[in-house]
Amino acid sequence: MSARNEANALLAIAARDLLIFRRDWGILVFSLFFPIAFLGLFDGLIGQNLAAGLPFNFLQFALVGLVGCMLAQYTMMNVTSLVQERETGFTQEIFVAPVSRFSIVAGKILGGSAMALLLIAPFFVVAGAFGAPLSVGLVSGILWVAPLALLLGGAMGVLLSGIFATSPKAVDQAVILVMFPQMFLSGAVIPVSHSTGLLGVLVRLMPATYLVDLMRTVAYRGTAVYGSLQLYAPGVDLGVLLVVSAAFFVAGTLLFVQWEKNR
Amino acid sequence: MPRPEAEPVIEVRGLVKRYRESDRPAVDGLDLTVRAGEFVALLGPNGAGKTTTLSILTAALTKTGGTVRVAGFDLDTQAREIRANIGILFQNPSLDLRLTAEENLRFHASLYGIYGYRPAFRLMPRAYREQVRALARLLGIGDQLFERVEKFSGGMRRKLEIVRSLMHHPRVLFLDEPTQGLDPVSRQSLWDHLRSVQRTEGTTILLTTHYIEEAEGADRVFIVDHGRLLTQGTPESLKVQIADRYLLLDAADRGQLLRDLAGSPVTPREDGLLQVAFDGATPQALLARLTVPLTVLRIHVPSLEEAYLELVGREAAGGEAS
Repeated sequence: MSARNEANALLAIAARDLLIFRRDWGILVFSLFFPIAFLGLFDGLIGQNLAAGLPFNFLQFALVGLVGCMLAQYTMMNVTSLVQERETGFTQEIFVAPVSRFSIVAGKILGGSAMALLLIAPFFVVAGAFGAPLSVGLVSGILWVAPLALLLGGAMGVLLSGIFATSPKAVDQAVILVMFPQMFLSGAVIPVSHSTGLLGVLVRLMPATYLVDLMRTVAYRGTAVYGSLQLYAPGVDLGVLLVVSAAFFVAGTLLFVQWEKNR
Repeated sequence: MPRPEAEPVIEVRGLVKRYRESDRPAVDGLDLTVRAGEFVALLGPNGAGKTTTLSILTAALTKTGGTVRVAGFDLDTQAREIRANIGILFQNPSLDLRLTAEENLRFHASLYGIYGYRPAFRLMPRAYREQVRALARLLGIGDQLFERVEKFSGGMRRKLEIVRSLMHHPRVLFLDEPTQGLDPVSRQSLWDHLRSVQRTEGTTILLTTHYIEEAEGADRVFIVDHGRLLTQGTPESLKVQIADRYLLLDAADRGQLLRDLAGSPVTPREDGLLQVAFDGATPQALLARLTVPLTVLRIHVPSLEEAYLELVGREAAGGEAS
């Protein structure tokens, strides 16, 4: 099987996910409702009551972190749909095809990534409507780092699918259990630069910490607050993200294939 | 029926599959050889190891031991080449119900590298469009090609899966209980089509089934139980080999009839008739010895079902005794 065929299969898998997504009105409605609720909540409650003395715009700060985490989460959710597809028998059709197992999983990540990018667009619209300053530099900075968010989310989804391959309910719960602490301990919506003790350790253990940190570093470059919100050097963030994503991707794929071959 | 000297396309030696949670192997030293162009049936009771065997041959399940070659490729080292050369109809449906019939086919064609993926039917190459329309028409789902599969009946879904499994012109087609849930008309049209594919494309077909009449149509039948091959042969040879062939006779002069039958295995039955087993394909030789006018003459030629039940029953009795 040539590289061209592998790429073709990968594209077909991603395109199928997009096709299904396009027909799912529930997800589309959710994608509009979620940023309104989330950004409205943070802007209204935290922004007005706790963030008055901050040297940066809180809504803009939360937007960058949330977009990073949500890109990862949406991709993760799409990849873990492999477990539902295993339950319905559809993965049989995919896994007996003469295609590399890694291409199949990469196709799921690609499809999830495209969906995540579409789903994230309303965040910018809602943030703009709530008055967050959205410069070209900020948005392009977020988009530059977005592929790493998609890769990390996809790889985490692959690992969860590999661990919970036999239970769609368990994998759904696992996505929530994994993403909820990432959202808060990574500094996506609440700064964590002064976290110490156990919380400090947990912050460092969250892969999303390095994602959000890198996204802020790139998004805030050239601004007055650049550097003050930074936890690690960009090279450290990048290195951790690539190593963790690769490890999760390989381990998750091998685990899932093992389940599939031992039905 | 393929030529006897046709090359083997499926070669299985000493196949073993042991599931972790089970104390006895699901497949226990199975040997099979299937020649190119043959249509063979794997027949056996529930739990005989049919689906497990088929899953291993299609590289969908790992084996515990033994060697397997399919379409000339070794399962251990060339699983991907095997996948490229086989088509599979799974026991459980494996369609995406949220897609249309055509979208399911396009997805399959792209996965197998037959055609490059395009986001719409009209953008796909002409050859693809013609192939899909022709196959769908042939199986009677031409009008529903652009409808979502969730609206399809069980029979239509099965037909679509067959169309899909044949799109990449596989050398070997594996069918796991393909007609389960189909009405008799759908079953007939399915078999007509598969027979024609076997004839025109020389496709080798390996079938697992519960329907013995479907196995009757096979070139060869492998009867398996407890993961082992009990016997194999053409349906005709199995009938001769396993089940008794006998005559039921009576005559007004019963004494003369018994004298004529001297030396043959005669069993009086409860209904008063004499049951006389015969060897060979016909009872001609036995009948030629009779001098007495017969009042009853019935020839009992066993069906494959009788042969199968006889063999599996013997196995079960043997298992209980041991």
